[in-house]
Amino acid sequence: MSGSAVTATARAPSRRRPPPVATVRWGLVIGSVLLLEAAARIGMIDPLIMPPPSTMVVRLGEIVAGGGFLTDLTTTAAAVLSAFGLGAVGGLLIGILFWRLPFVGATFEPYLVSLYSMPTLVFYPILLALLGLGPAPIIVIATTMAMIPVALNTMVGLNSISPTLPKLARSLNCSRTQTYLKVLAPAATPLVVPGLVLGFIYAMIGVIAMEFILASEGLGFRIGYTYRAFEMQDMYAYIVFVFVIAVAANVALNAIERRVRRDME
Amino acid sequence: MLPTASSAPGQPETAGDRDGRLGVRLADVGVVYDTKDGDSVEAVRSASGHIADGRFVSLIGPSGCGKSTLLDVVGGLLAPRSGTVTIDGEPVTGPRRDTAMVFQEDSTLHWRTVLSNVAFGLEIAGVGRKQREAAAGDIVALVGLTGFEHRHPRELSGGMKQRVAIARALVADPRILLMDEPFGALDQQTRMFMGRELLRVWDETRKSVVFVTHDIQEAVYLSDEVWVMSARPSEFTAKVVVDLDRPRGPGTMSSRRFHDLTSQVWEVLRVESEKALDAQRELEP
Ligand SMILES: Nc1ncnc2c1ncn2[C@@H]1O[C@H](COP(=O)(O)OP(=O)(O)OP(=O)(O)O)[C@@H](O)[C@H]1O
Ligand SMILES: [Mg+2]
Repeated sequence: MSGSAVTATARAPSRRRPPPVATVRWGLVIGSVLLLEAAARIGMIDPLIMPPPSTMVVRLGEIVAGGGFLTDLTTTAAAVLSAFGLGAVGGLLIGILFWRLPFVGATFEPYLVSLYSMPTLVFYPILLALLGLGPAPIIVIATTMAMIPVALNTMVGLNSISPTLPKLARSLNCSRTQTYLKVLAPAATPLVVPGLVLGFIYAMIGVIAMEFILASEGLGFRIGYTYRAFEMQDMYAYIVFVFVIAVAANVALNAIERRVRRDME
Repeated sequence: MLPTASSAPGQPETAGDRDGRLGVRLADVGVVYDTKDGDSVEAVRSASGHIADGRFVSLIGPSGCGKSTLLDVVGGLLAPRSGTVTIDGEPVTGPRRDTAMVFQEDSTLHWRTVLSNVAFGLEIAGVGRKQREAAAGDIVALVGLTGFEHRHPRELSGGMKQRVAIARALVADPRILLMDEPFGALDQQTRMFMGRELLRVWDETRKSVVFVTHDIQEAVYLSDEVWVMSARPSEFTAKVVVDLDRPRGPGTMSSRRFHDLTSQVWEVLRVESEKALDAQRELEP
C-alpha cells in the first residue's frame, strides 16, 4: 500500500508569482502617460485642451531655463516653508497647551476640529482687505491650515502617553526638561510626526490654491495666469512641475514618517 | 509635585541599629484620592509597619486594596493624607536616589534599546556613557537578557520587558527596591524561575525589598514577612513572619512549614477577599 504522495517537503505546483506592487504602480503611471501621449498625437484630444505630455515636459524645460521661473519657485517655496514653520510651532504649542490644561483643551478642541473641516480659504477676501495683496494673507491662511493637524495630533499624542512614564521619570528624579525631552517628546512622536506631515501638505495646498486665486507671483499664480491667457502648454508645464513636486514631497514625508514610526513605536 | 528630597548617603549598615531606625517605617499612613468628579476615595486608612534594613517583605491583598498606592507613597511619588513614612528616620518627601521602583504596568521606553533602557536612570543621574553602559551590561546579564542588549522593547515578550524594568531598578544599586507585581505578566514556570533569580540577586546584595504580589506561594517563598492587607480602605490585617531557612530552593516548597505558612496567609486573605467582594456586590443593583 503506498502512502500519501504528499510529504512534508512536497510543494504545491508553483504558480507564477504576481508582479510586485511597485512594478504595477509604475506600470500604471507610465501606461497612462503613454496613452495620453498617443491620444494627443493622433488627435483624439484637442491639443488646445491638453497637449501631449512630451510637449509639456519640453515646455517645462524651456520655462525653467528662461528667466522668471526661479522667482515663482522661491516665492512659493518661501511661503510654504514659512507657513509650515509657523504652523508647526503654533500647532505644537497649542497641542501642548491643550494637554497641559485639560479644561482649555476640552473647551477649544471642538473649535479646532470644526476649523479642520471648514474651507479656510473663504476667509481669503477678508484677509486680503486687512493685510493687502502680498505674501501675508497667503501665509496666514496656509499657516492656519497647517497648524490644525499638528495641534490635534500633538494633543492626542501627549494624551495617549501611559501615566506610568511620567511616574517613572519622577521616580528617577528627572528634571522638568529631561522629562519633556527624554520621555514625553519621544513617547508622543509617533503621533506628532504624522501631524507634521499633514501640516506640510496642507501648507502646500493652501499656498498654491491661494496664489491661484489672487497673487502677483508664485507657481499657483502662474498656473492661473497662463490659464487665463490661454497659454495651455505653459499651464500644463507648470501643472506637471507642481504635481511632481507634490508627489516627491509626499513620498519623502511618508518615508520619514515610516522611519520614525519604526524607530519610536 | 512633591519637592525632591536630597539623597541620603549610605548610613552605617545595621551595626548599632538597636532602636530600629534603619529601614522603612510606615506610621498610620492614610491615603485619600480626589477623583475628577469631585468625589474622594479613601484607598488606605491606616497602615503601619517597619521593614528593617535588608528585609524582604511581600504585600498581598485583594485587588484595589491600595498596594500600588502604598508603594507610590514609600517611593515618594504620592504624599499621604495622614501619617508618615520615614526611611532611616528621615521623612520621605519625594523620590530618593537610594530607592528604586518597578511598576505594575510596562514602563519600558519603547524608542530605546534594552541597554539604553536599563542605563536610563544612570543617564539621568549624569553618569558618563561608557560607565553607565558597562554597568547596564552587567545587570542585563544578571536578569538573563544577554544577547538582547540592542533590541527594542517591541521585540521582547511581556516577561522580558519586566526584566528590563527590574534591571533598570537594580542598576543604580539602590538600598530599597519597591516592586509592584513584577512577575504579574508571566506564566507560572517563568515566574518561579524569575523568583529564584530575584532571590539569588537579593542574597548577594541584601537590599530591603517591598514586593507586591497576588500569588501566596510566591510571597511565602520569597519573603521574610508577608503583610496581608484588608479590603479598601485598607490596613494591615496580618503580618506573617516566614521562618523558612535560606537559601531557599525547590525543596522549600515541598516542606511542611511552607504549606502551613501559605495556609495561614490564605486564611486571612480569604476573609478579606470575601469582604471586598461583598462590598462590590453592595454597589451593584
Ligand atoms: N489616581 C487615582 N485616582 C483615584 N482613585 C485611585 C487612583 N489610583 C488608585 N485609586 C483607587 O485607590 C484604590 C487602590 O488602588 P491601587 O492601585 O493602590 O490598588 P492595588 O491594591 O494596587 O490593586 P491591584 O492589585 O489591582 O493592582 C482603588 O480603589 C483605586 O480605584
Ligand atoms: Mg496595583
